[in-house]
Amino acid sequence: MFRRSSYASVAAGTAASTSPQPFQSRPNTLSPMMNPTYSGANSLPYSTHHSRHPSRGMDVEGHHNAGSWGRGGQLPSYSSQYGYSSNGSGGGAYDGLHETFFIPSYLRGSRHMERLEEAYKARVAAQREMKSSHSNPGSLSASSSSVNLHKMVPSHRGMTHDIIERAPAHNEPKYAPLPMRWSESDMVGLELQADGLEVRFGGSSKTHDDAASIRADHCMPRQCGIYYYEVTVVSKGKEGLIGVGFSAKGVPLNRLPGWEPRSWAYHGDDGYSFCQTAQGKAYGPKFSTTDVIGCGINFRTNSAFFTKNGIYLGTAFKDILKEEDLYPSVGMKKPGEHLRVNFGQSPFIFDIDGMMRQEKKMIQDEINKADVASLHPPLDETALIHELIAQYLAHDGYVETARAFAHEVRAESQALANGNTNATIKELDPADDIDGVNRQRIRMAILDGDVDKALKYTKSFYPRVLRENENIYFKLKCCKFVEMARRFVEQQSANAPSSNRATSNGNATSNGHRNQNGKAPVINDYDDDVFDHQMELDDQLIHNGGSGDWERMDMEDSQPHESRATGEKEQQGDLMVELFKYGAELKTEFKDDPRRETKQTLDSIFAIIAYPDVRESPVNQLLDVSGRVAVAEELNGAILVSLGKSSSAALERLCQQSEALVNELAGDGGPGAFINVRKDFLL
Amino acid sequence: MAATRRERFLGKASVGLGTSTRHVFERRVEEIKPSKTDINSVIMDYLITEGYPHAAKTFAMESNIQNYGDRDSIEQRVAIRKAIHAGDIQSAIEKINDLNPQILDHDSSLHFALLRLQLIELIRTCTSTPNGDITPALTFATTQLAPRAPTNDTFLADLEKTMALLIFPRENLSPPLAGLLDSSLRQQVATRVNEAILLSQGKDREAKIKGLIKLRVWSEQKARDNGVKDLPSRLPLGLDDEVGMEASEEEEEEEDEDETMNGGADDPMVP
Repeated sequence: MFRRSSYASVAAGTAASTSPQPFQSRPNTLSPMMNPTYSGANSLPYSTHHSRHPSRGMDVEGHHNAGSWGRGGQLPSYSSQYGYSSNGSGGGAYDGLHETFFIPSYLRGSRHMERLEEAYKARVAAQREMKSSHSNPGSLSASSSSVNLHKMVPSHRGMTHDIIERAPAHNEPKYAPLPMRWSESDMVGLELQADGLEVRFGGSSKTHDDAASIRADHCMPRQCGIYYYEVTVVSKGKEGLIGVGFSAKGVPLNRLPGWEPRSWAYHGDDGYSFCQTAQGKAYGPKFSTTDVIGCGINFRTNSAFFTKNGIYLGTAFKDILKEEDLYPSVGMKKPGEHLRVNFGQSPFIFDIDGMMRQEKKMIQDEINKADVASLHPPLDETALIHELIAQYLAHDGYVETARAFAHEVRAESQALANGNTNATIKELDPADDIDGVNRQRIRMAILDGDVDKALKYTKSFYPRVLRENENIYFKLKCCKFVEMARRFVEQQSANAPSSNRATSNGNATSNGHRNQNGKAPVINDYDDDVFDHQMELDDQLIHNGGSGDWERMDMEDSQPHESRATGEKEQQGDLMVELFKYGAELKTEFKDDPRRETKQTLDSIFAIIAYPDVRESPVNQLLDVSGRVAVAEELNGAILVSLGKSSSAALERLCQQSEALVNELAGDGGPGAFINVRKDFLL
Repeated sequence: MAATRRERFLGKASVGLGTSTRHVFERRVEEIKPSKTDINSVIMDYLITEGYPHAAKTFAMESNIQNYGDRDSIEQRVAIRKAIHAGDIQSAIEKINDLNPQILDHDSSLHFALLRLQLIELIRTCTSTPNGDITPALTFATTQLAPRAPTNDTFLADLEKTMALLIFPRENLSPPLAGLLDSSLRQQVATRVNEAILLSQGKDREAKIKGLIKLRVWSEQKARDNGVKDLPSRLPLGLDDEVGMEASEEEEEEEDEDETMNGGADDPMVP
C-alpha cells in the first residue's frame, strides 16, 4: 500500500503545520504565515470529495462559478454545496501574484507535484519578501531580478528547516507546470471566457472547412506519469461537431484536433477517434450537451484513453509520439458550441484517482519482487540490512546505538545458531572509533541546545572544519542566539502564572536522556586549560576502550556561562541583556559578510526579540528544536568530509542512488513518475 | 561545504578512471540530499519492527527521537521471536495466543507452520541421541498435525516431508530434508509470526528499509533495461570500506578483490 499521509496535510493547509507527527521530519517548507494563503486555494472540494459521484447537476449549476477559480481568491459557491466552508483566510490570498496553484486529485503525493509546489511557494515567498522589503511603490529596482529573490528563500528558512536535504532554490531546474487554462494566443476562432476555462465558438464560420481549435497554456508533463483532464459540453450547438484530445505545438488550429498530423482526438458528432488523420475510427458513443468527456494519457504505456460521464471508454491510441510535447486541445465547428474545461482545479467525474492507484500498485508489486540478494553479494537481505544499519550508525557517530545493535544482532544469531554455524555477522565494535565518539559529543551538544560546547569541541577536535565551512560556523552562531532566546522565552512563561513551559519547544524534554543517568550535572567553572586537560583524559579513557565513559565529560562540562541550573535563578532581565549583547556581537561579527543570506538570516532571528510571545508569532518555527538537528547533521557531514570520509553513509548513498534512478525513470513519464521515494518508501 | 565536496569529487574523478559520462550520474546522486531525520526514522522503524529494543532505546536517546512506539509491543514480539529461534515453539504459540488469539485462528497456514516447526524440534530432539524415543514426535504428529493436513494440499506435503525426517538417518539427509533442520526455517517462521503480529496491530508488516532496498535494486535494473544514459557500470554503495565512495571510485578494478577479501574476513566466524 502507498502511504499517502500528505493528503490530509495538503488539503488541510494550516492544520498540517501544527499536527504532531512522531516522525514528521521535513517541516512544511511553507512558513506558517504562508499557510493560510495556500489553503485558501487548495482546501476546495477535491480535498475529500471524490469523482466517484458523477453529479452532472453540479456541472450545469456550477459552471457560472468557474470563473472564480482563475482568480483563486474567492471560493466558488458550489464548494458549500458539498459542505465545505471557507476558512475565511483564503480571500485575497493572491494579491500581487497572478498565478494559482492546484494539485489535481490523482496527482496528490506525486513527486512532480511536490516540486511544482515547492517552486510555487518559493515564488510566493519571494513576492511577499519583495513586497515587505520594498513597500515604497516608487521602487522599481526590487522587481528587477527574480534570481536574487529566489536565493532569498532557502536562506530565509535556513535556521529553521532541514537545510541539508534540499539544494537551494536557485539551483533547481525548471519543472514543467501543469496546464492551467486555455492559451490566449494559441487559438483560432474562439472566444475565451471564465478566465480561460471556457471556450465558445466565436462568430460565424467563414467557410465550411474552417474549424476553431485551442490548446492549453502548458503541455501535459510526462513526469506526472498519467495526465488527465475533463471537458464539459456546456452546449453542443447544432451538430455537436466537437473534438476533445491533444496536439503538439504548431498543429494548425483551423482544423479539429485529430485531423492533422501530431494531433489526436475523440469527436462528439460521430463518436469516432481520430489519430493524425481525417479518417476516423469507430471508438465510443457520440456526445452532446451536459456530457463530460475525459481525456487521459498514460505516458508509461504511451497510450491514450477517453471517458464519458465517468465511464472508461477504453484505449483510443497507442504509440503516441514520444518526442513531442503534447497540449490538451479542443476544437469545434459550429456556432453555439461551448465547452468548459477542468484541468484538475475541481473534482473529476471519472475515477482517475483509482486508475492512478492501480498503476502505482502495479509498479509497487513489481518492486516487491526485486531480488535483493543481487545488490551486494554474498549478503542476503537480513545480512545486508544489518550491515547497512551498523555502518550508518558508526558512520554518523551513533556510537552507543551501534554498540547496542551489534550486541542484539549477535545475541539473536547466537540464539538462532544454537551450535549451528551460520552466524555471519561482521564484528562491529565502534569502541575504538574515537572520531565517532567525538562527533557524537558534538552532535549531542547541539541537540541539547548547548552551542558553546559544540563550538568548543569542534574547535578542539577538528580545528579546520569551522574555518573551512564558514556557513556552518555562522549557522552555529545563529543557533546560539536562538537557544538564548528560547531560554528567555521559557523563563518568561515559567514566571507567568499559568505556565505550561517545557511542553512546546522546551529544553526539558530534549534533555531527557541526560537525566536518565541519574547524575546531576556538575557545574564547573574552568578555563580552557582545564578543558583541554579534561579532554586528554577523556581521550585516554576512550583509548582504553571504556564504554560509555564519554558521557562523564558531558556531566562535568556543563555550560560555562549559561548553565541551566543558575539560569533559572537569573533574573529575566539578565537574560534579556545577554541576549541583546550577544545579538550585537553577532551583528558585528558578520556585518562585513557580503552574502545576502547572512543578512536575511540575521534579520529573521533578530525578529524573535520583536514579539512579546514568540510562540504565538509568525517566527515561532525558529524556536522549533528540529532546527538543531539540521545544524548538527550539517556539521557532522562537514567533519566527515574533513576526515576524508564520504559524507554519506552507505544507506544514505542507497537512498540517493534510488532517488536519482527513479528520477531518470520519471523524466519521460516512465515508471519512475509513479514513485515518490520519500513518501512511498521513507515515511 | 557543497563546493568543497564537489571540488574534491571532481578532483578525484579527473585523477581516477572513468569516462565523463560516469560523473554526470554520480553528480546527480550527490545533489540529492536525503534528510537525516528521514533516514533516522527508517533506522528506528527497523529497530522497532524487527525487535531490537535496546538499540531502539539507545537510538532514541542519541538521535533525539522522542516517541518511538509502544515498548511493550516490541518486548512481546521479541520474546516470541526468541522463543521460536530457540526452538521453544510451544511457549511461542502460547505467547502469541496471549497477545491475540485471533492471529493464529485466522491464519491457519501460519499456525500449521508453527506446529510443523514444533514437530521438527521434537524430531530433532529424539534423533539427536541414538535410540531416542520417537513416541512424543509421533503422538504430536498424529494429534496436532494430521487432523489439519487434509484441509490443504501443501499442509499434507509438508507433513509427509517432515515425517521422512524420522526415517532417514540424520547424517545423509537429502538437501530439502536437511533444510528442515536448518536454523533458517526457525528464522523464516519467526519472521512470518512477527509480520502477522504487526499486521494484526494495524502496522506495516515490513520494515521500510526492506522496501527501500528493493526499490534500489528494481530502479537500477529498470534503468539499465530502459537504456538510461550516463549510468556507470556499477553503482557501489560504499559499504565495504570506511572511505566510502571515493575509494570505490578510484579503485574500481580492485573492488571486486576487496569484496572477496571482505568475505575472507568473515570466514573466521564461519568455521
